Amino acid sequence: MNELSFAEMEGIVKSLRSVMVLSLIFILAGCATAVKETNKHDEHKRHYEKSFYKVTQAENYSVEMMVEDKMFKVGVNAADIIIHDRNDREVVGADITITPWMPEMGHGVFTPPNITERGGGLYRVEDVTLVMGGLWEMRIEISKDNIKDIVVFDFPDVKAETGHAREHDHKMVVTKAPADLDLSTSRLSSNKAFKVSYTSDREPAPVNKIHSWRLNVLTAEGDPVTGAIISLDGNMPEHGHGLPTEPEVTQEISSGEYLVEGMKFSMPGWWVIDFNIKTDDKQDSVKFNLILR
Amino acid sequence: MKSAYKMLAILTLSISAILIPVATTYAMDLHSWSESEKAVLQSLWIGNLPPLPKNPSNKYADDPNAAALGNKLFFDSRFSGNLKVSCATCHPVNRNFADNLPLAHGIGRTDRRTMTLVGAGYYTWLFWDGRKDSLWAQALGPFESPVEHGFTRTQSAVIISEYYQKEYNEIFPQIPDELLEHDLSLIAKPSPDEPASLKKWLAIPSDTRESINQVYANMGKAIAAFVRTIVPEPSRFDRYVEAVMSNDNKGMMSSMSNNEVKGLRLFIGKAKCTNCHTGPLFTNGDFHNVGVSQPKHLPPDKGRASAIGKVLADEFNCLGKYSDASPRDCVELRFIDTDTEKYIGAFKTPTLRNVADRPPYMHAGQIDTLMDVLKFYRDLKPGERSADLEHGDLNDLELQQLEAFLGTLSSPLKFAE
Repeated sequence: MNELSFAEMEGIVKSLRSVMVLSLIFILAGCATAVKETNKHDEHKRHYEKSFYKVTQAENYSVEMMVEDKMFKVGVNAADIIIHDRNDREVVGADITITPWMPEMGHGVFTPPNITERGGGLYRVEDVTLVMGGLWEMRIEISKDNIKDIVVFDFPDVKAETGHAREHDHKMVVTKAPADLDLSTSRLSSNKAFKVSYTSDREPAPVNKIHSWRLNVLTAEGDPVTGAIISLDGNMPEHGHGLPTEPEVTQEISSGEYLVEGMKFSMPGWWVIDFNIKTDDKQDSVKFNLILR
Repeated sequence: MKSAYKMLAILTLSISAILIPVATTYAMDLHSWSESEKAVLQSLWIGNLPPLPKNPSNKYADDPNAAALGNKLFFDSRFSGNLKVSCATCHPVNRNFADNLPLAHGIGRTDRRTMTLVGAGYYTWLFWDGRKDSLWAQALGPFESPVEHGFTRTQSAVIISEYYQKEYNEIFPQIPDELLEHDLSLIAKPSPDEPASLKKWLAIPSDTRESINQVYANMGKAIAAFVRTIVPEPSRFDRYVEAVMSNDNKGMMSSMSNNEVKGLRLFIGKAKCTNCHTGPLFTNGDFHNVGVSQPKHLPPDKGRASAIGKVLADEFNCLGKYSDASPRDCVELRFIDTDTEKYIGAFKTPTLRNVADRPPYMHAGQIDTLMDVLKFYRDLKPGERSADLEHGDLNDLELQQLEAFLGTLSSPLKFAE
């Protein structure tokens, strides 16, 4: 769902009027048997059929939440929040905070979501970054003219779209190792710009021990590549996570031979180390596969 | 009647003729391991535990005199606000150097379970969240925690100079005179959470503060020299691996029961426990969010995510001024993973050595029994767990076998007296 314009919202209100009349009848019918509190709810109305709808704890506001893609997912999410007061007036200029929380895990999110007011009681919430699947609470605090109130929406089954883990801004997909995995320690870079090989100062590359690699970079013709800027990253495709360290190329030991410090593998299995190599006139990358026992 | 007996005898004979070979083959299968399985068994074997790694930031780590002083400091409850708390309060010798409480109790109650000290000298990161990068820096943390020793570095330096001066001076550079003569405010410590203590700390001349820090750091180094000697002795599992390596069938059968061996096979195979519980200490020392819930009465705990900045900023880390290491040697700190988002709610994989003897489990003692821990891992739903935690479909019998296997990892401990 994209952001709602005011006019669109009004249109929806009109088209839903009949639905509302029906629900009013329903509520009134309910009053015959229900206790007093339901009377207070009469003042709050639902305006959008497909929204998540709740009245705040002290019943000062009604809150409707419409989630982009219908449901929160593991990753970056956005939602619209529409707020009305006791008299069903749109709440404009309120202070809103929204706190995503995983009660079972005892943690929330690292950066608070961004909230922008769009007028007509509509508030746009962006950058709701949920790091894992499971039960999430969205705790919304509303404050206007000293009337503060709170409402908590539960999303019991937030799921990952793809894979299990998320790193930085790209999603990691869990992939099975192909049967014919190339485990060679000497490979041509993907665009054939460089011939690259590595040696580990511990053979075979160990699990749980920090160690160094030496990377040898040659041109396609076999000449040493000096002064290259090299960065690297590693991951476990079958597990969807990366290295437990941030290794770096720290020096060029000799012509075309680079020292990679801080290499560490946290568990046995299939690892991929991806080097990005940049010279004055060329840039290319090369991947090495390792299977650790 | 006679023919009936005859029939019965024939029947019995033929059944045993079938059963005996079956039983032998069964026992052989149970104890036969492929070459790659043998390699895994050997990697878990205590005989594969290397000598204690060098600790470049503590040049006294392997000094027996430092360990002897550390041993005394470890048990000395004068280093506490109420004169009742020593390191051994939460790390009692007779309980694998860990208490039996869900949350540690010193002067007050902490928000995490006490970690065992077994094999502590082998770890890169200390505490559940790894907010310290050496055992000596770790040892200093609890003294100044208001809920553990409730003490200060200033008081510690005073006690060292009053009661341990001779031993201290034989190991470390002499305690400077200005420290002995200075009338120090005992509540002084650089703690932003306790402003009164911080104010007193800043009132101490900077040279004297430096001397206090130096004595305090050395006190940690002595304690670390002792604690790092705490290592497990061989367990029944280790004897089993030795028997496997020497093809000693009798030895295999006498060191572990069939059920335990089945559990071992699951542990290194289908249940994939060796994803994280690797090496002779059965831990990768890394941090993982396994999805265990934070108890409702405790504040939220981000685990490793909030410790990365702490260890980088720690004045007692490998790169700090009280470290004996050259910066080159501080590889773990220099290449620390700073991706905090990845480590929200992640805690260190604990060792499984003696695991059966030290309930309760998890970082806040959330789970009472080993069986419940196994059930917890089994019942994690695919969408809620990381791929590291794929454990296959384990049935109740298999969980019992795994539990039985974990019992074979218990052994006495040895440490410098």
